[in-house]
Amino acid sequence: MAKDDATQRTSTGRRPTKVMRKNFPFSFLENPLSALIPAVPYAKEEKVDCHGVAILAENLACSAQPGFPLAFQNVNFSIPCGCRAALIGPNGSGKSTLLRTLAGLNPLAEGTVKLLGVEPRLGRSRIAYLAQRPQLTPFFPLQLKRCVQMGTYAHHGWFEECHHGEANIEKALQLLDLKSLADRPIHQLSGGQLQRALLARATVQGAEILLLDEPFSALDSRSREIVESFLFHSQNTFTVLMATHDPAELKRFDCVLELNHGTLKTLHACRGHPHHHD
Amino acid sequence: MIDFLIQPLREDFFWRALIAILLSSVTAGCLGAYIVLRRMAFITNALTHSILPGVAAAILLGFSLYWGALGAALITATGIAWLSARKEISEDSAIGIMLSFMFAMGVGLISLSHAWRDFTSLLFGSILAVDINDLWMIGLTSTIILLSLRLLHKELELASFDEEYAQLIGAKPAVLRMVLLMLIALAAVASVRLVGALLTTALFIIPSATGILLGKNLVQVMGWGVGVAILGGVSGLYLSFYFSQLPSGAAIVICYMIPYLAVRVLVRQSYPR
Repeated sequence: MAKDDATQRTSTGRRPTKVMRKNFPFSFLENPLSALIPAVPYAKEEKVDCHGVAILAENLACSAQPGFPLAFQNVNFSIPCGCRAALIGPNGSGKSTLLRTLAGLNPLAEGTVKLLGVEPRLGRSRIAYLAQRPQLTPFFPLQLKRCVQMGTYAHHGWFEECHHGEANIEKALQLLDLKSLADRPIHQLSGGQLQRALLARATVQGAEILLLDEPFSALDSRSREIVESFLFHSQNTFTVLMATHDPAELKRFDCVLELNHGTLKTLHACRGHPHHHD
Repeated sequence: MIDFLIQPLREDFFWRALIAILLSSVTAGCLGAYIVLRRMAFITNALTHSILPGVAAAILLGFSLYWGALGAALITATGIAWLSARKEISEDSAIGIMLSFMFAMGVGLISLSHAWRDFTSLLFGSILAVDINDLWMIGLTSTIILLSLRLLHKELELASFDEEYAQLIGAKPAVLRMVLLMLIALAAVASVRLVGALLTTALFIIPSATGILLGKNLVQVMGWGVGVAILGGVSGLYLSFYFSQLPSGAAIVICYMIPYLAVRVLVRQSYPR
């Protein structure tokens, strides 16, 4: 999603956007500074040919935290690019641990994992992770649009002002029906609205894999409809791996993985989709 | 009335104090927003109080007061990090330990020197004490702090709001936290002449706490914080000019409380909910 924007950025140079500038103090310092100090990327994201496999895990074993007993072991699965995969299992079966490990937040004890051909680590803009209960600073003075804008930071770098991605932000706000809430402070949003805002942030990041930990848990039926139509829209080319508890919904997914008693079973595998990263 | 305002301006020392408080207000207002939002008030308190032994050692041994203060602040910051590395000791206990230890060291050093009177201005500030070297020092630290805050604005905002997301995209929140602590130490060292080691925390916290009640986003919070800091700081200087018994630090903190209480009482909710 961010790709068209990124190419535009390289071809036309830095596009100044008025909306962002307004957010900023000392704007008189801006031009000399950006000329003097080059932006340093947070992390270098190498593009490896993934051969159409979004996530590949072999003999994977993890614990919830370093030093804890293993939550599961000997886990093998592969998810093709563009697949919508569900991760089911009872409470405490390690769904969250698996998702956090894939996101790079939790070290793996054994085995190998490749996401788009690269091992999980922090600083990857191609992977987005949304926690079940995001740990946000309460009452932080932040408007929804600025929160969604944070998704573009992955494509900026240290010392750089936000200067591209405006079109993507508008699109994401539209898709998740957040337009009317754009100026609302984050702490005044309901649980479902916040969930949608964070999903919009992940979209703006332009991630190719979305790792979602029970995204429907806080949603009412309307919010859920909006999020579902977004996640299952056939034109969206991203891969989704979602922890969920709802058995009725499982037929919508191309692939179902079940974690139980420390092992993982692939209940329903998907043969793959035509995928296009670039 | 006009004469009341102009009278102090005829004095050179008042001008120096005025410039110093304006610079400190801008830095404290911007930095304070992060301190209050990230709930770092207690660690800021520890950093500012730990300046005391540094300054006392500097006076006893005869080196620059600022190096002593900066060294002490660095020792405190690393001490807190080291003590809280053991999981059994939570960070606030570590802060409490370092705060009281450093302060005790300060009191010990002061009693060694048998000169309590010199230290009242250190503890509570004195507008007479600001000389041209202090102004240069404050100017330098303010430039460093404001430049860093400007350059790292989006990272600091993100890491303060959603640490995990910052970690995910690779904007190291732990490093940012250390940077913020260093900046707080610098700002505290620079304003110790004006407000004194005991009351420097107020400089960071009270104006920004007022700002949080008024601002809708981080930049507005910073703006209101700077405004309140300037208002309270300048009126505090006037107060301490006319009541020369009152140390400038105490006067400034008293003047910060007036806008804070006014906002707290008058502004029920900063925006419609």
